[in-house]
Amino acid sequence: MPEIRLENISKMFGDTVGANGLTLDIADGEYLCILGPTGAGKTTCMRIICGLTSPDEGRIYFDGKDVTDMPVDEREATMLTQSYSLFPRVNVEDNVLFGPRLKGWDEESCQQLVRNMLGMTHMEGRGSRLPNELSGGQQQRVALARALASGSKVLLLDEPLRALDARLRLELRKELKSLAKSMGLTSIHVTHDQDEALEMADRIAVIRDGRFVQIGAPQEVFENPATPFVANFVGRSNIFEGTLVYAGNGTSRISAGEGITVLARDPGYEPGTKVLVAVKIGNTKISHVKAEKPPEPEAKRIEPIQKIPKPKPVLDFSFRGRIDRILYEGATITVEIDVPGLGLISSKLPNRKYDDYDVGEEVEVTWSPSKASVFPYPENGIKDELRLD
Amino acid sequence: MSIFKRIDDLSSSPRIRKGWFSAALIIFLTLIIIPAVFVLLEAVIEWESVSEVLGDPTMTGMIWGAVSNSFSIALIVTILDIVVGLPMAWILVRRSFRGKRYLDTLIDMPLAFPTAAVGISVVMFWGAPEGVAIPGLGLVMSPYLIVILLHTVFTFPYMVRSLAGILDQIDPSFETAGMTLGASRLTAVRTITLPLFRAGLVTGFILCFARSLSETGGTYIALQMLGVSSSFFTGPTFIKYMKDLPGADPTGALIVVSVIMIVLAVALLLVAKYMMNRLRLPWTKVWPVWERRLSKGLAARSKDILTFVFLFVIVILPSFYIFAYLTAPSGVADLNSLFGAIGISFAIAGIAVVFNIVFGIPMAIYIARNGNTRLGVLLDNLVNIPLIIPTTVLGLSLSMFWGSFNLPAGAAFFLVTLGHISFTYPLVVRNITGAISEVDPSYEEVARTLGAKPFRAFSKVLLPIVQSSVIAGAILAFTRSLGETGATISISKDVVTVPVYIMDLIEQGQYYQGAVAAMILIVICFILMFGVRYLTGRRKQGA
Amino acid sequence: MKIKLDHVSVKFGDLYAVKDISMTIDKGEYVTILGPSGCGKTTLIKIVSGILRPTEGRVFVDGEDVTDVPIEDRDTGYVFQNIALFPHMTISDNVGYGPRVRDLDSEAVTGTSRQYLELVNMLERAGMMPNEISGGEQQKVAIARALASGSKMLMLDEPLSALDARVRMELRYEIRRLVKKLGITVLHVTHDQEEAMSVSDRMILMRNGGIAETSTPLDMYRRPETIFSAYFVGETNFLECTVVGKTKTGKTTVRLRNDTIVRVAKSKFNVGDPVVISVRPEHVYTASDGLPATVRNVVFMGTYWRIRTLSATDDYIEYNIPADDDIPELGDEVFLVFNKKATLVFARPSEGLEEAIRLE
Repeated sequence: MPEIRLENISKMFGDTVGANGLTLDIADGEYLCILGPTGAGKTTCMRIICGLTSPDEGRIYFDGKDVTDMPVDEREATMLTQSYSLFPRVNVEDNVLFGPRLKGWDEESCQQLVRNMLGMTHMEGRGSRLPNELSGGQQQRVALARALASGSKVLLLDEPLRALDARLRLELRKELKSLAKSMGLTSIHVTHDQDEALEMADRIAVIRDGRFVQIGAPQEVFENPATPFVANFVGRSNIFEGTLVYAGNGTSRISAGEGITVLARDPGYEPGTKVLVAVKIGNTKISHVKAEKPPEPEAKRIEPIQKIPKPKPVLDFSFRGRIDRILYEGATITVEIDVPGLGLISSKLPNRKYDDYDVGEEVEVTWSPSKASVFPYPENGIKDELRLD
Repeated sequence: MSIFKRIDDLSSSPRIRKGWFSAALIIFLTLIIIPAVFVLLEAVIEWESVSEVLGDPTMTGMIWGAVSNSFSIALIVTILDIVVGLPMAWILVRRSFRGKRYLDTLIDMPLAFPTAAVGISVVMFWGAPEGVAIPGLGLVMSPYLIVILLHTVFTFPYMVRSLAGILDQIDPSFETAGMTLGASRLTAVRTITLPLFRAGLVTGFILCFARSLSETGGTYIALQMLGVSSSFFTGPTFIKYMKDLPGADPTGALIVVSVIMIVLAVALLLVAKYMMNRLRLPWTKVWPVWERRLSKGLAARSKDILTFVFLFVIVILPSFYIFAYLTAPSGVADLNSLFGAIGISFAIAGIAVVFNIVFGIPMAIYIARNGNTRLGVLLDNLVNIPLIIPTTVLGLSLSMFWGSFNLPAGAAFFLVTLGHISFTYPLVVRNITGAISEVDPSYEEVARTLGAKPFRAFSKVLLPIVQSSVIAGAILAFTRSLGETGATISISKDVVTVPVYIMDLIEQGQYYQGAVAAMILIVICFILMFGVRYLTGRRKQGA
Repeated sequence: MKIKLDHVSVKFGDLYAVKDISMTIDKGEYVTILGPSGCGKTTLIKIVSGILRPTEGRVFVDGEDVTDVPIEDRDTGYVFQNIALFPHMTISDNVGYGPRVRDLDSEAVTGTSRQYLELVNMLERAGMMPNEISGGEQQKVAIARALASGSKMLMLDEPLSALDARVRMELRYEIRRLVKKLGITVLHVTHDQEEAMSVSDRMILMRNGGIAETSTPLDMYRRPETIFSAYFVGETNFLECTVVGKTKTGKTTVRLRNDTIVRVAKSKFNVGDPVVISVRPEHVYTASDGLPATVRNVVFMGTYWRIRTLSATDDYIEYNIPADDDIPELGDEVFLVFNKKATLVFARPSEGLEEAIRLE
C-alpha cells in the first residue's frame, strides 16, 4: 500500500553531516536495503523516515501524502532495532500486544492475533516468557512479531541481525524477508553487511557520507558499480590505477605499470586518462603457466600489444604472479598472488581448485574484460575513496 | 481511562509538553532555587547590620572560627572517607563472596540513622558524658575530634556508594587488559582504573563534603553532651546558637555566616567540577617490583583488613551503641509528645516527597534526555545547589525570603515543609535522572513507532522500567527529611519534628528519653530502608 | 609456545561452562575456537590466559604447569571483543603500556611502541586518542598493544565481531599475515565459521561446553565427522533417508523419502539403517533426470545465483549456478542430482535432526 518518497533530505548534527540531500523512491511492498559503513548516515535516514528525527530540509511522502511534520505515532511505520528493545518487565504476549491494545482491541481478537503472530515467527508456547529468558534469536523473533502485530504497513529494520551469531544470521535472513514479503510490508532494512544486502534486498541503496552513491538491484550494484568505493564495498575487488591506452569496440586497454596491460570495459574516456580498474576477486581467474612456453614470455607477449598501430580487438590477456598464500574458506578459496608492479591480487575460486595450486607457484592472472569496471581517478586519492570506515 | 485518554491526546501536542516542562521549571526556580540563595540578596538589603558585624572583632572571630571548623572538618572527613572507602567499594563491586549482600546492607545502615541519634550514640561510645548511665570507652577527646568521628559515620556510606556506583560502570576488561600486558593489580588499578574514576571521586567528594558541612542536629547534640555547645562551633551550630541567644538581634551575624558558607560551598562545587574535567594526575611512572609486592599477600590483605576494622570500629559500632540503652531502662518515656512529633515529621516528609516526585519527574526526564545541551547542563548543576548549601543556611535563607511576604503566624508548618522540599529535591531528581539516563531511549522510540503517543510511551514503557528507582529516591528523601534538624530549627522553633524533639530533650539533660525517641526513629527509618533494598533488589533480578 | 590443556573444567554455580577439555596447540599454530553463543569458547581462552582459573584440570605452557600463575606473569597477549583500549591514553601510550609496566626506560618504551604500530600500519595515528580513530583501526592498535608486551601467545576474543562486515573481512586477512610473519601462537575465538576457516590452521568446534570436532578447515568442510559440524561450518542440505544398498568396498546407496535412490560416499552403515545425508549447495547439479524439485526462490549472491527449491521429498534443497548462466523462473520444475563423492552420510540422530543442529 505505501509508497515512500524522500525528497532531498538533509540533516546536520552540529558539525556532523547526518544526511546530505537524500532522494529515494521506494515502491509499495518493496524490500529495500540501505547499505553503508558505520557513520555513513544509514540510521539517520531510517529515523527520518519513521519520524524520530526531523530533517533540516526536504520532504517525506507516504503514498503521495506529505508526512514530514506528522508525529511518529501516526505514521504507521514501525522500527525494529538492533537490540530489539523488548519491553523488559512484561512477557512476550504483552510485548506483541502493545500496539493492538493501544488501539483498544478486545481481548478475544488480541488472543487470536498473538497466536497467529507467535505461530508465524515460530515462537508458539513461549507467550508467557519474559524477554530476558529468551535467546538472542528468539528475542529477534518476538520483536518482529510485535512489529507485525502493530498493523503498520512500513517496517524499518535497523541492523536487525547484527547482534546474532554468524550462522544464525544466515538462517534468519531468509525468514525475515519472507515474512515481510508475505505480509505485504514496505520494508527498509539498514545494514553494513554487503552479503546480507545482496541476499535480502529487492534493491540496494549504497550510502556514504550522508549521500546515496548508488541505488539499484543487487545484481546491478554488484556488476556495474557506480564508484570504486561501491566496487570494493559490495564484494571485494582488486583495484589498481593505470592509464587508458586505447578504447573501442566495448573494451579498453589499460597500462597498469611495468609491462602490465589489462583489458576492461570501455568507459568512453580519452586515451591518456588516469583511471582506476576494479575487478571482483570472484571474477579474477588464474591458470597454470604452460610449460612449453619460452622462458620469458611475459615481455614478448606484451610488446606486440603496445606496438600495434591499428589495434584489432584483443579479447584475452594475462599477466603473471607468484602465489603468496591460499586460504580455504569453505565453498570458496582465496588465492593471493604477488604480482610485480601491481602488488597483491586476490582471486576467489571454487573450493575444488584448492588442490590444483601451491604456494610459490607462478600463475597466469586474467579476467573477462566485460567484468572489469573503469573509473576516473578519484579526486581525493585512492586511499580516501576506498576507506571502509 | 478517559482521563488517560485526554492526557494522552494532549501529550501529542509539543506545546503542551513544553508547557508542562516550563511549569516544572518555574516551580523549581521560584520555590527551590531562589529562596535557597535569597540570603545573598538579604545581605545587600540588611547591609547596615552586616557591616556592624564585620566591624566587631569578637563576632568576626567567632564566625571565622565556626566556618573554618566546618570546612576543615568536612575536608578531613572526606579525605578519610576516600582513603578507606576506595578499598571497600572495590570489595563490593569486583569481588564476589558469600555474605556480600549483608555487607552491602551493613554499609547502608548508617544512612538510615537520623544524625541526632548518631550524635548521641557516638558520644556515648567514645566518651563518658555526664548524666549518661551507660559506660562508654571513656576517652577524653577534643570536640573537634569527636565531630570528625561523628561526621565520618554518616558520610562514609555516601562515599562508598558513589565510588561503587562509578566503579561498577568502568568495564573491568580495561583492568584485565592491563594485567595481561604484565601489570600487577596495583599498577593496573593505579594507571588505568583510577584515572577513569575521576568523576566518581568528585561526586563522592561533593556529596560527603556537603553532608558534613550541613550537619546540625547530631553535631549540636554531641557538643551539648560534651558541654561545649556555647564555646565550640561549626557553621550550622553557630547559627543555632545565635538564633537561641536571648536579647541581641542576630540577623547580621546570621547573614554573614550564611553568605560565607554559600559562597565557599558553591565555589567548591565549581572547583570540583573543573577538576573533574581538567585534572590529570601524573600517574604514568611505575615501580613494577614494589607494586607487584604490594599487590599480593600480606600487603594486599592488610588493606582489606584495615578497611573492615574501620567500618566496624569507626562506623558501625559507634552508631549502634545507642541501643545499649535497652539494657538499662531508666524512667518512663513521654510517648505522647513523641508520637505528636512523629506525626509532624511524617506529614512534612510525605508532602515534600510527593511534591518532589510530581514536579521533579519532568525535570529529571529533561536532564536525562538533554544532558549535552547547554540548558541541560545548567539545570543539572542547578539541581545540585540545594544539596551543597548547608541545610541550616538554606532554612535561614528560605525563612528570610518568605518573611518578606508577611505570612500569617500559622505558616510555620508550611515554611518548614518548603524547606524540606528544597533539600530533598536533589535527592529525588538525581535518582530519577540517573535511572532514566540508563534506560535505552529505543524503548520509548519503538513504542512511539508502534503507535503510542508520548504520554502513553512514558507511562506504559518508561515508568515501569524506572519505577523502582523513583520509589527508592522517594524513600531516601523521606528518611533524610525525617532525620533533618538544621533546616527545621532555622526556619521555626514551633514546628517540633522528631530530631528537634530529641535535641530539646538532650538540652534538658533527659538522655534516656532522648535515646528512646532516637531508637524509635531509627527503627522507623530501618523499616523504610529495607523497603528500598527490597525494591532495588527486585529491580536487579528483573533486569 | 606450546599450549596444553589437561581435562579442564570450569563451573559457574552448578553449571559447567566448559567440561573436561583436553587439547594441545603447537608452537606457531593458528587455532580457532568456533561455536555458537554460550558454548564456552570464551571461557576456554580466559583459562589459557589466566583470567579465569579452572575448577578442575591443569594448563601447561611449554610443558610447565601454569595453572596457578597469575595473569600478569603469563605473558599472554589478549585482545578483547570490546577492544578495551585505555580511553585516557594516546595510541602510542596504549601500545607502550606493556613495556612500561615492565620497567623499560622511556626510550625503549617509545621505540617498542613505534615498532609495533609500524607493523600494523598505524604509526601515523600514534598521537591520537582511541575515540578519534575508527573501529577497525582501534582493533589493529589493540593487537599491536598485545604484541608489544612481548607475548609469544595471542588470544583473540571475537576480535572482529564489533566491526562492520566489510572491515571484518579485510582485517582477518591482515591478522593472519601479521601473526604468521612473527611466528606467534594464536588462539582465536569466533562464532563466524567463514572467518574461522579463512584464518586458521586448525579449528576446534565447540558446543555446550565440550569439543564437537577438531580438524583443519579443509577437513571440517569436506569431511565433517558430525551432523552439527556439517551444518555449522558452511551451508549444507540435509535429507533424511534409509540405507538400501551396500557393497563390500563400502559403496552405499540410500532411499529418499519419495523412494528416489541415490548413490552416496562410502560409509560404514548397513542396509536398513536410518541415516541423514548432507550435500553442500555446490555439489548439487541439475540434470535431465533426478530428484524432482520446484524452484521457490532465486537469489543473487555476487559471483553466483543461489536457487532454493522444494523437492519431491518435501525438503528444501539449495544449489548454485554461475552468475552468467540463465536462471530458472519461480515455479519451474528441475531435476537434481548430487555429487556422490561429496554426499556424506550420518546416522539419523535419536533426538531428531532439528535438535541435533540447534544453534541456541
